[in-house]
Amino acid sequence: MLFSVLIYASEDFIDALPPEELATIYQKHGAFHEHTKTNKSFAAATKLMSTGTSVTVNKNNDDFVVTDGPFAETKEQFMGFYLIDCPTLEEAIEAVKILPLDHGRIEIRPVEFFEGADFKNAERLVINAS
Amino acid sequence: MPSAWLSTHLRAARPRVLAALNRVFGDIDLAEDAFQEASLRALKAWSPDHMPGDPVSWLIVAGRNAGVDALRKRKRETLTAPDDLAPLSKGPHPEDDLTQSLDHAVYRDDILRLLFTCCHPVLRRDQQIALSLKVVAGLTVEEIARAFLVQPKTMEQRITRAKKRLQAANLTYEEPDRTARSERLSAVANAIYLIFNEGYCASQGEHLIREPLCEETIRLARLIVRLFPEEPELRGLLALCLIQHSRRSARLSESGSAITLEDQDRSLWDQTLIAEGNVLLEAALRKARPGPFQIEAAIAATHTQAATYAQTDWAEIDRLYRALQHIRPSPVVALNRAVVQAKLKGSQEALGSLEKLSSSLERYPNFHVVRATFLEDLGRYEEAQVAFRTALDFAGTDVDRAHILEKMSGLSRK
Repeated sequence: MLFSVLIYASEDFIDALPPEELATIYQKHGAFHEHTKTNKSFAAATKLMSTGTSVTVNKNNDDFVVTDGPFAETKEQFMGFYLIDCPTLEEAIEAVKILPLDHGRIEIRPVEFFEGADFKNAERLVINAS
Repeated sequence: MPSAWLSTHLRAARPRVLAALNRVFGDIDLAEDAFQEASLRALKAWSPDHMPGDPVSWLIVAGRNAGVDALRKRKRETLTAPDDLAPLSKGPHPEDDLTQSLDHAVYRDDILRLLFTCCHPVLRRDQQIALSLKVVAGLTVEEIARAFLVQPKTMEQRITRAKKRLQAANLTYEEPDRTARSERLSAVANAIYLIFNEGYCASQGEHLIREPLCEETIRLARLIVRLFPEEPELRGLLALCLIQHSRRSARLSESGSAITLEDQDRSLWDQTLIAEGNVLLEAALRKARPGPFQIEAAIAATHTQAATYAQTDWAEIDRLYRALQHIRPSPVVALNRAVVQAKLKGSQEALGSLEKLSSSLERYPNFHVVRATFLEDLGRYEEAQVAFRTALDFAGTDVDRAHILEKMSGLSRK
């Protein structure tokens, strides 16, 4: 089953981390990559830019309104996500334990539908999760 | 000694907490002391397994209590203390309901007030920079002193004088309306860029780049962009800082001399920062409210789009400089435009446009370097040599001097 691993953290906090601490975080992500690639559960990794780059598209009657910034102000921001293909939730949980968990929240949520493209040749990859 | 984990939390919370305490007490000194006390309380009360749900609110409440205690104590100790302490502890405070996080609008105004106070026009530029780094970014006096190559004692005095000047100015701070907010944000943006520039092209000493200063500034810029995403100039400022900073590894040779844009190894440019800078700029430009930072970011972005120096879109850069001259005319902008003019129309015409700048840029080393380069292009080597020597007299850093000497030795071979 395909699981999304959703990573939330406070951007203020991440920005304040000293370089050594950041390096430790990246190390743990590296270990997660290695683990999931070795057991062939790795599907995708996405790190988002800071919410300062966000815009939100709304519709007001028939007009599109693009507002600046994320949809909601929250103490923690959505930082990025992994997709991993694991036979059981249990295995997904085990894999996520490798990730840095001291700096925010990580949520595992099963994927209902996934479609992806290979960006280089735009060949589609379609998986029906059920 | 707080753990790395705790000091990161305190560093992250500092701008918001200090901004709130500054609102409560109307006094930066007291707010800083209160933050210090709140940090000590956090050191005792927090652990990785036992964290408050909202560290920022926790620190604000602890700091407010500590500050009120300090004021009470001061009142007992001095007979002449003002008798108006009661309102501080009465009346609703936005932090009172700890289960709810602070209203975002309150945060925004608090931070703006703190930043605007630290870079208030009554302060000199060096005071603005020192105070912003000390109060908002939370750098220690020693760190700031090191960054500016002065004795810690000198920096301490600079900060104390800045605070005294603020007190003497007896600032009142009304809730800003839209225009006032915009003006304050613009003052804050200018101060932030000033700090960035201190890091990016250090004006004195042996290092060209003070990376930690650049990174600290980018952190501040990111914070205000998150708080005011609808202000295109702030996004422009952040975009500009990111794109400039993306070249940090390409700007210095192994021997420590400066490498100009023309000779930089573009594969060393940090593409992640460039991508973020470009998309921030695009988002900013959508608002159709151009300003100097957006234009400068656009100039920097145009350079990132050229695979080689020879492929630079000089016509586009010339248009952007023309727009910049229109919005914020300055001799330095005119000088930069002259460099672009030389690419488009040749050095003879560009040299002519330098004449009217000579009085205002007389002491600016780069003016003489540019002039020397034009003269060299035109085969007027002796005059070029004289201009390089003048540049050398005004150069502030060893890196600058090395760069000029390198050019001079290139010239003497002709």
